[in-house]
Amino acid sequence: MATTMAADKKASVEEKIQELRDLYADAPPLGKKALENVIRELQSDAASPTARPMESAGRVGSRVGKVSELTLIVPLLPGGAKRLRAFLRLLHGNPQAGADRVGTLHDMRFVFLDNDTKLLFATAYDGDWDAYIDDFATKIPDYLDLMDTDWEGWPGIRSPQVKDYLVKHQVTAEGWYVANPDLTVQEARRLQRLGKAVDEFLDKLNG
Amino acid sequence: MATATASRPKQDLTVEEKVKQLREAFRNAPEMARVALENALPTLKSLVMEAQSEQTESAGRIGVRLGKVSELTVIAPFAAGGAERLRTVLQLLNGNFSAGKKVGTLHDMRFVFLDNDTRFLFATAFDGEWDPYIDDFATQMPDEMDVIFSAFEGWPGIHNPKVKDWIVKHQIPADGWYVAHPDLSVAQTGRLKRIGKAVDEFLDKLNA
Repeated sequence: MATTMAADKKASVEEKIQELRDLYADAPPLGKKALENVIRELQSDAASPTARPMESAGRVGSRVGKVSELTLIVPLLPGGAKRLRAFLRLLHGNPQAGADRVGTLHDMRFVFLDNDTKLLFATAYDGDWDAYIDDFATKIPDYLDLMDTDWEGWPGIRSPQVKDYLVKHQVTAEGWYVANPDLTVQEARRLQRLGKAVDEFLDKLNG
Repeated sequence: MATATASRPKQDLTVEEKVKQLREAFRNAPEMARVALENALPTLKSLVMEAQSEQTESAGRIGVRLGKVSELTVIAPFAAGGAERLRTVLQLLNGNFSAGKKVGTLHDMRFVFLDNDTRFLFATAFDGEWDPYIDDFATQMPDEMDVIFSAFEGWPGIHNPKVKDWIVKHQIPADGWYVAHPDLSVAQTGRLKRIGKAVDEFLDKLNA
């Protein structure tokens, strides 16, 4: 059984490799050459039994291990970029006050696009999409309405339409890499405390 | 010490000024936003004044850093056929571009196709300064970089002296950047995971 599956995987990897070679035949020369340099490694990465596939984060978005990605691009209302910038500037660019409270948020960026007419909002977070949006809605509803009010059509975080709105503007990543896919925000915090305790313990032993 | 005390009133004034600016900017905002602003302001102000929040700084030539962790956000137009090539590479790897582990300062990296496959978003979180980070990519995974980035218009090649100018041209620095553990580099996280494992084993032996 396992052998058959491994054989199937190998066959499908070989098909994909061939497809890739065909496609890169028309690529710029440096891309074509680079592909030949790494194709064996890509092949073994793809066929590796320990390779962890990207999966769905639930309703929308991608996940590897425990860590998911959310990438939103939303149109801004006139004057919206100005208001959001003033808000971010007050916080020295770091909206930590609210973000820490979500508890499952690894990182979050706000990037203004196309002459301030759009906003890219991208995060890395733990677990499933629905639970994550619920965390935002229950833990920091006011921050959300404050930051998102200038998103065109924002229904309000307490509106039953809010998830549909988010789904409509979210673009699922087709590639996603995480250095430590098993490490949640909470687990990282626990390890930080543990590391500190171990350091103190060793200091006392050597003291 | 004396400097910190002396600069304190000036800092408070700046916060008040910024709050004033914020209220001004929200004057014409929808009712929902003005209510939310007033609800959130007391917490915001005290957090800013207590300086509990770290400030974002420059990541070097371009981009923003918080503590040890920086952001890179690039949006570039696809070259002809580029989207199809890149998608096939990513599908081969089941979406997980695990070669990223060769760059020991890389926290996370996403590949997003935009506007009917005409533009591409590449966004990462990484440790430290922009220049050494790009150098890491160039030395640790040059071929992977050319395989991916040759999908974009005008990519000069990772070994080309103009490559950093190309990236700067297409990078858009974030105006807001948050990291849950700004002091935790990828290397430091690796060390903590090992400590965690060692402590678990140690406790298992004690209790055996």
